[in-house]
Amino acid sequence: MTVSKERPMTRDPSPKGIGGAVGWPIAITLAGAMLVGGFAGYNHGIVEDGGEPMPAWLGPLVGAGFCAIATTIYLRAYRAVWQQWSPRKRRYWLALGLAALAGAIIGTWSAADGDTPVGTVAMIADGPANPGFAIGASLLWLLGLAVSMILYHRAIDDHEERAWLWASLAGWYSFVFPAPVWWMLHRADLAPPVDAMLLFLLSLVVNAIVYLWMKFR
Amino acid sequence: MNNKLKVLRAMRSWSQAELADRLDVSRQAVNAIETGKYDPSLPLAFKLARLFAMPIEEIFDDGFEGTADDA
Repeated sequence: MTVSKERPMTRDPSPKGIGGAVGWPIAITLAGAMLVGGFAGYNHGIVEDGGEPMPAWLGPLVGAGFCAIATTIYLRAYRAVWQQWSPRKRRYWLALGLAALAGAIIGTWSAADGDTPVGTVAMIADGPANPGFAIGASLLWLLGLAVSMILYHRAIDDHEERAWLWASLAGWYSFVFPAPVWWMLHRADLAPPVDAMLLFLLSLVVNAIVYLWMKFR
Repeated sequence: MNNKLKVLRAMRSWSQAELADRLDVSRQAVNAIETGKYDPSLPLAFKLARLFAMPIEEIFDDGFEGTADDA
């Protein structure tokens, strides 16, 4: 037989499906991050007007409190959905959730940290950063990535593994091809010094494009 | 590789998501197999064969029409 494009078939309506189970944690994290960012921006405005700023810990505390309450409500509402998922599926979304949480914490911390540049793209900005933020963000990146990747690779199916492997290969090539060329051209004063973060970003973008193409095309 | 997955699924009135749940894979994996964009691994092919109670070669067709000696 010949294969053809999928036409959706009917499904039983589900009051609480995967959209809410995955969407709400993202929304809660974003809302918490926005709360902290809002506090930081408000404090920044007070300082610019010559006023006395609120304690720096107040914003993160309010954000964390909001996330804790919202997460409790979410867990009570969506417990049944999580319980009916297979262990693989639970591990999968837990891995993605942990990665998103680590990213949100780093981003929020970056926004709340006065010495960290947030006016430019945070990943490639090379301005000064507080040592506390630098160490904390680095640890979060290393630990968050390690834990979520272990969970992720234990949870993905063959199809996603294939998408991930091809995406990783493309990301690797997007580093291997330009890096030595850039380095050599710089040695001949034909290019600025090699920017590792720019290459990292390029590799990340290529990885994401290939992964999404292989997974969802 | 051609396959009868979509027909077999339709005969049981399963959605892609329902079949994916039974196989413990993502819905995208089922869709990719059905549309011929992805050939499943041997373990997944066996899982499909067990689920539909059919031999693998009755679900998947690689277009080979010779005998074992020609392979």
